[in-house]
Amino acid sequence: MDHEDPRRRAAIRRTGLLLLAIALLFFFGIIASRFIDSPLVSTGVIGGAVLLYLIVAIGRHLRK
Amino acid sequence: MSSVPHDLVVGGHPHAHDDHAHHPKGIMRWITTTNHKDIGTLYLWFSFTMFLVGGVMALTIRSELFHPGLQIVDPEFFNSMTTLHGLIMIFGALMPGAVGFANWLIPMQIGAPDMAFARMNNWSFWLLPPAAIMLLLSLFVPGGAASGGWTMYPPLTVQSGMGMDLTIFAIHIMGASSIMGSINIVTTILNLRAPGMTLMKMPLFCWTWLITAYLLIAVMPVLAGAVTMLLTDRHFGTSFFNAAGGGDPVLFQHVFWFFGHPEVYIIILPAFGIISEIIPVFSRKPLFGYASMVYAVAAIAILSFLVWAHHMFTTGMPAASILFYMYATMLIAVPTGVKVFNWLATMWKGSISLEAPMLFALGFLFLFTTGGFTGLILAIQPIDIQFQDTYYVVAHFHYVMVAGTLFAFFGGVYYWLPKWTGHMYDEKVADWHFWLSFIFFNVAFFPMHFLGLAGMPRRIPDYAQQFTDWNMVSTVGAFGFGLSQLLLLYTVVKCIRGGAAAPAKPWEGGTTLEWTLPSPAPYHTFETPPVVK
Repeated sequence: MDHEDPRRRAAIRRTGLLLLAIALLFFFGIIASRFIDSPLVSTGVIGGAVLLYLIVAIGRHLRK
Repeated sequence: MSSVPHDLVVGGHPHAHDDHAHHPKGIMRWITTTNHKDIGTLYLWFSFTMFLVGGVMALTIRSELFHPGLQIVDPEFFNSMTTLHGLIMIFGALMPGAVGFANWLIPMQIGAPDMAFARMNNWSFWLLPPAAIMLLLSLFVPGGAASGGWTMYPPLTVQSGMGMDLTIFAIHIMGASSIMGSINIVTTILNLRAPGMTLMKMPLFCWTWLITAYLLIAVMPVLAGAVTMLLTDRHFGTSFFNAAGGGDPVLFQHVFWFFGHPEVYIIILPAFGIISEIIPVFSRKPLFGYASMVYAVAAIAILSFLVWAHHMFTTGMPAASILFYMYATMLIAVPTGVKVFNWLATMWKGSISLEAPMLFALGFLFLFTTGGFTGLILAIQPIDIQFQDTYYVVAHFHYVMVAGTLFAFFGGVYYWLPKWTGHMYDEKVADWHFWLSFIFFNVAFFPMHFLGLAGMPRRIPDYAQQFTDWNMVSTVGAFGFGLSQLLLLYTVVKCIRGGAAAPAKPWEGGTTLEWTLPSPAPYHTFETPPVVK
């Protein structure tokens, strides 16, 4: 394993950016949910998205 | 991997060296460092400092409650103390403490040379001191510090003074630090593991942190969003939570606890990881049921998102919702029970020795389980209605947070101190630290169950005469517990300054990769990754 391997650096950047995008989505999502349709429904959608992210993120590692 | 000893193949070249001549010296080393060990040390010292600051606030609270009536502080300041104590202990002491362990250990346990984003790691830490200073400075602004409780429920927090703004900003900054730290941890674990180290061979400490980091990335933005809305309600004329403008204060509680309940597990899961490292080593047996431990941590993390409204039973909700949150909360006892069972099974017929790390692990097991059981009691809605905002709740969460997380941290410090400093700690003083902490913790917090059962409300500086005796006992216990922590400081400083040289593997049962390195761990490690078979 070469830590300076460009492919590895790219993979690290990709993982970091993906996680940052998820964090930003939840931050703006929870605020935006107060403006979209019924707040109860839109907040529920954001909550469901958070839960789905968690199940997918953790679940995909459990098989390895 | 505590259950799977590694068969290491290290190349014929040194995989560790102490050359850091090209790094700045003195204070600049610490300000500019990108080394995971330096940053781990900074996090741990910051956490301990905040633990002392929050502890002084706790002792101020307990001093006022030693006797009924108002004698030492005025009620507003008392409320600020309860609020800041909670915020500082959670965001300043426990979370940074866990990140400190993560920084020191994750790269060494997975065979990585450092964290994936080393510069961001430096930035994550250095965001914390300004945030903590901002929180403490709020005590001196007009109107005083935030005093509505660490939960920051509106409408009180929409109306309170400038101290609340500083608190909101401090939470934003600490939240950003946590998110950056979590992104770093997930990225490091997923991309920089040594060849051959599959996820299911990883030490359990790394597993608990991987899942904790995912939790943090999910919930910290939600909290940041909630307090941002609170801020705009305070200053920009919005009405997210302001009922006078059509907002919904109860919605804040939902959003807050959607963060707040997983936060409990964010704090306790790394502690589970530390305990899962210590118990097998001092029982001289592999961890029982490694895979089930991983699945239990994952189950706890996911269930923690489905139970938040049990904090809000008294706000009123439909019977179906009450039943859902009751049963979902009780369900968490199943994976938690799996973990406790596995720890006990690991010890079963083991060759147990009782050095300080194991003493703290056993103290953790006994007291955390007690806190878990009172949690089950509080999960039952008809009982919770009676106990809401009483000292029973205060006792419950201190058994989980202090005897759970903090005892695990203490055990972890003694366990890895030889690797960090290169010296063995003073076992006798460490044992005294454990026994005094264990006894005084129970003297301080067990009586709170009785006070809560008798109906004493929390966050009130005065109380009825009949609560006096147990409050006096509790205050004596709190001071004893606080003073006992000076023994930890003494032991750590003494260990840093010298002592018997620690071998590379001071604990015979240690099988994880950090024990293949010399003690103290060299500045740079695993630049050539080990191969795990």
